Amino acid sequence: MADRAFDTRRLPGATVLALACFVILYIPMVILVANSFNTGKVIGQWEGVSLHWYARALQNDAFLAAARTSLILASLAALIATITATMAALATTRSRGFRGEGTIHIVLNQPIMVPEIVLAIALLIIIAQIKQATGYTGLGYLVIAHSAFCIPFAYMPIRARLEGMDLTLETAAADLYAGRLYTFRKVTLPLLAPGILAGFMLAFVISLDDVVISDFLKSPGQDTLPTYLLGELRRNLTSEIYAISSLLLLISVLIVAGSWLLTRKKT
Amino acid sequence: MLDLHRLTKSFGKGDSAVTALHEVSFSIAEGEFFTLLGPSGCGKTTLLRLIAGFEPPSGGALVLDGRDIAHVPPNQRPVNTVFQNYALFPHMTVAENVGFALGAQGRPRAEIAATVERMLALVKLSHLAGRKSAALSGGQQQRVALARALAARPRILLLDEPLSALDMKLRKEMQVELKRLQQETGLTFIFVTHDQEEALTMSDRIAVMAGGRIQQIASPRDLYDQPANRFVAGFIGETNFLPAHCTAGRLTLPQAAAPLPVPHADGPVTVMIRPEHVALGQARPDALVLTAQVDRLVYFGTDTHVHLHLSDGSPLVARVQNALRGGQPCAAGQTIPVSLPGEALRLLPCDEAA
Repeated sequence: MADRAFDTRRLPGATVLALACFVILYIPMVILVANSFNTGKVIGQWEGVSLHWYARALQNDAFLAAARTSLILASLAALIATITATMAALATTRSRGFRGEGTIHIVLNQPIMVPEIVLAIALLIIIAQIKQATGYTGLGYLVIAHSAFCIPFAYMPIRARLEGMDLTLETAAADLYAGRLYTFRKVTLPLLAPGILAGFMLAFVISLDDVVISDFLKSPGQDTLPTYLLGELRRNLTSEIYAISSLLLLISVLIVAGSWLLTRKKT
Repeated sequence: MLDLHRLTKSFGKGDSAVTALHEVSFSIAEGEFFTLLGPSGCGKTTLLRLIAGFEPPSGGALVLDGRDIAHVPPNQRPVNTVFQNYALFPHMTVAENVGFALGAQGRPRAEIAATVERMLALVKLSHLAGRKSAALSGGQQQRVALARALAARPRILLLDEPLSALDMKLRKEMQVELKRLQQETGLTFIFVTHDQEEALTMSDRIAVMAGGRIQQIASPRDLYDQPANRFVAGFIGETNFLPAHCTAGRLTLPQAAAPLPVPHADGPVTVMIRPEHVALGQARPDALVLTAQVDRLVYFGTDTHVHLHLSDGSPLVARVQNALRGGQPCAAGQTIPVSLPGEALRLLPCDEAA
């Protein structure tokens, strides 16, 4: 038995600690989701199961507007981030090392390392100036900011997929009379597709979930789902928030699960 | 049809540069099954990559049908490759793989479909046309790779050790199959291998390579019977090498019974003789007769290998056909005469390393 590999399960207390972590992580979410089905107004006073709060949320124009903004923002940001990340991943894996490749790596992954609040403040300073100068208060600022911090999340699965790809396939395509574009369209892109889709989904969720940067950069009257929820919490705490949070949770879980399934398959 | 003129390839720059090919020159004729044979690192795969266009040469010319294609990109050369790992597109079906080259050339759909059908029939895989290529066995993938490379009717088909990933039995079958395909299509094949048996059984001509240079180009029979140097003699088949000396047109081995007349310049030489030509006993009048001691006998079914050594210690192997009756030709420890027929002796320059 002594020659067995190191097994964390045999450490004293490991199981208890792990269970405790899971309970602390998931019990609040379970309570939240359960409460979203509570007919009553007061938390902890169970008055029966219903979709009352969901119905109310779906009739709430402010919520619907915020949801719409969030979906548009997340779609645009994820799209831009994915295209940029795909090009970056191709450049860093396909070319035989170029000057500044290491720097590009750091710049690409910077948003993961820099504290979000710092990035938010830095962006606020510049964007406030631009807003004042141009008078434009639309969604554009958020789209650009979200695209930027979503790039590393889109980049990771795409790069992983590219690194696992057999380069002889592209050589073979070239040997079989395919030009660069035809090879990319018929060989590289289809093989890369699961990575690109996974990257898009990850970026989408990251954008959908963002509070700090959105809250700093949004113009008056503009709200994404998270900033709307934050505002509602400050004003009136009703079970409608639980219903909205549960919906948000459901979307995130579905997308992350989808992305995980895509990257796991056939590699 | 294909002419190589002083084709050279170096990797790296300055002092760290490594030359993989040294001024290689030869010509390949239309419809020939031409093999590049050599140990790993001899430059045969590099040469193939230059012909396919995956690498540009550092110097020299590569002339196909009168046109220098040394710097033409691979997708504009009428040359297709069967890769060592097959490199089938995993996201496409067998039919899509085979039709890829024609699709890239922008041929009409009906023509692609007809060609794919014909190619799959040629490699006997018509029943698997709709299967994904990842779901095939090694031998089937091999056939798809062949059909794919043949579909656009290249001027030359390049094969990069295509049989090395197959097991022994399948490899033998594919050797026959490849030769049949080459004869049926009438195409020129350039085949790369490190397996001398593969090279001998399939090729019209073989180029033996070592250290980035061509050692000899000849038909399988000439390569075996008339090797140009010690490397070729040792690489193809089994061989005995004996140190000898030429003096005044006569050949003398250290303990030769009778010097033989040989047209060769005076000086030390290496004598080569295949084990199957070494005869036990005082067989023939024109033979060089030596005395040797038997070390051991190894039974091989069709024949027995007799390992001997001469009085100066040089090892010598004789291959003796096994008769239906008669038992062993000799016994270990015996000292016996062995005959080396004059016509079977080959003289090689002795300064070369093996």
